[in-house]
Amino acid sequence: MFAKRILAVGITFCLTLALLGCNKSASQAETSASPSKSVSPQSPINIVATTGMIADIAAQVGGNLVHVTGLMGPGVDPHLYKASEGDIHKLSNADIIFYNGLNLEGKMTDIFVKMARKKPTVAVSDAIDPKLLREPPEFAGHYDPHVWFDVSMWSQAVTEVAQALSEYDPAHANTYQSNAKTYISQLDALDRWCREQIAQIPKDQRVLITAHDAFGYFGRAYNIDVVGLQGISTVSEFGLKDIQRIVDLIVERKVKAVFIESSVPKRSIDAVVAGVKANGHDVAIGGTLFSDAMGTPGTPEGHYIGMVRANVTTITNALLGKAPH
Amino acid sequence: MTASLWIIATGILAAAACGLLGSFLVLRKTSMLGDAISHAVLPGIALAFLISGSRNPIPMLIGAGALGLITAFCTETLHRVGRLQQDASIGVTFTWLFALGVILISMYAGQVDLDQECVLYGEIAYVPWDVWLWNGLDMGPRAIWVLGATFLIDLVFVLTCYKELKLTTFDPQLAESLGISTRLFHYLLMAAVSLTTVAAFESVGAILVVAMLIAPAAAAYLLTDRLSRMLVLAMIIGAASAVTGYLLASWLDASIAGAMATMSGIFFALSFFLAPRHGLLPKHFARLSTK
Repeated sequence: MFAKRILAVGITFCLTLALLGCNKSASQAETSASPSKSVSPQSPINIVATTGMIADIAAQVGGNLVHVTGLMGPGVDPHLYKASEGDIHKLSNADIIFYNGLNLEGKMTDIFVKMARKKPTVAVSDAIDPKLLREPPEFAGHYDPHVWFDVSMWSQAVTEVAQALSEYDPAHANTYQSNAKTYISQLDALDRWCREQIAQIPKDQRVLITAHDAFGYFGRAYNIDVVGLQGISTVSEFGLKDIQRIVDLIVERKVKAVFIESSVPKRSIDAVVAGVKANGHDVAIGGTLFSDAMGTPGTPEGHYIGMVRANVTTITNALLGKAPH
Repeated sequence: MTASLWIIATGILAAAACGLLGSFLVLRKTSMLGDAISHAVLPGIALAFLISGSRNPIPMLIGAGALGLITAFCTETLHRVGRLQQDASIGVTFTWLFALGVILISMYAGQVDLDQECVLYGEIAYVPWDVWLWNGLDMGPRAIWVLGATFLIDLVFVLTCYKELKLTTFDPQLAESLGISTRLFHYLLMAAVSLTTVAAFESVGAILVVAMLIAPAAAAYLLTDRLSRMLVLAMIIGAASAVTGYLLASWLDASIAGAMATMSGIFFALSFFLAPRHGLLPKHFARLSTK
């Protein structure tokens, strides 16, 4: 009897809570549907971006008219990102949310799609022509999400951000467009620089070996063969055959260095180095590459351009056999 | 503010559903079944993906649900037919199934981001935005409906089969002699556990479900000797863990599921030390006073 009474109380409590919640959410929907506020440096647009690379674009394009909050800090793996309590309020209070899309953010992607009913949520990869996206032959439509490593492709994401900001705040559309233009011209210069740097490496030794397949677009854009130990996902395990295949490749093409990534543990690449040594060949660990996340804020690598430069310098130096400085 | 309320309500519903069934799991010495199912769903997800070719939640849930049932069934069969201990049969079943899933994924789906974390496990933090739209109407978070329905099914099941569940849990021989099939009720209970865990994984994530199945029920076990009270206490402790866990997460700006699971552990510790009859301290003092 005791049990049933408490249960009844519990059920009533839950139902009341649910009803209260329904009312509240209805009123919230009304307020968020109101037209965009007037934007000025004093009341900037509140932007939440998932990765640092996207936060960077938003800050460059928006200038002092936006306040950008990045969700995923340096060294975070976006596939495995867990939201904290504070993130909920960041997402609730955001005026616009920018995310990568192509499932980089895992389950969070579905949430952004659903949130689009209440506030603008923009997948920056939407701007990229699907024909340019890499997709595994067996599974059409499951694209490689690491689009930011092809600098010229990433410029299209800048256009997308400028477009979204102009729609939200038409009064300052010109500012956003001209900021975007400036940033894109910087990216164009960066793109040319990357091409020149990588081209210095002899064709035969131009192989980028890393822990997971984040550099597919990079390899395609800058003409360097990319071999990843793990699959696209950072959680899939690598097989023994994968290691042997890579060891053979290193020995055959006399590759001078392999690389570690900032957001993936280095033990998998250690196995390769040990395997190569066992074959009487020597391979160095060329350094750490930034893959899914950027460096600490305040350092040059804390920005997209600095991060790409750091990666390219690390790769070129190591594959040319120069000592890192 | 509304977002916080939804998350707390989801946590309470998950805790209540898990506490109710978890109590039986604790009494039947099969507490780790929830953890086992969280791993064993992997081949189900892989097969669902290979068959349907998509990562949509519906095929994933069907695949995971089927594997949950298979896990519960295999566990019980190994225990009953093979005379293997409960913990060993759970261990064998889920490690084997999980390994099968790893092989399937590396063979066929290595190029796609496919694992429980990515396609099945939900995250309680996103509950407020994952709303259910019905004829264009915002019906509130989907998780509330899914978990609410799961909880009601569990509640109806336990209330209608209360006597049978109680008897088959505490005295299977007596139950058999009274003509109650222990096997039937075991499978019914296991089916309820698999469906509840898979539905809850999808809504709030794995760690919270595994914790809520065990910790509140274990705490309640130490607080009372009566089944009905244990069930109610397990649900109350679970709900209290959800509420205080949210506050903890908000204070520390940490993962909500993690904080809720942590609080359930703290409630267990409190009950372990302070429970009136079975707690460590009351027992200690009782021994001192008899000396």
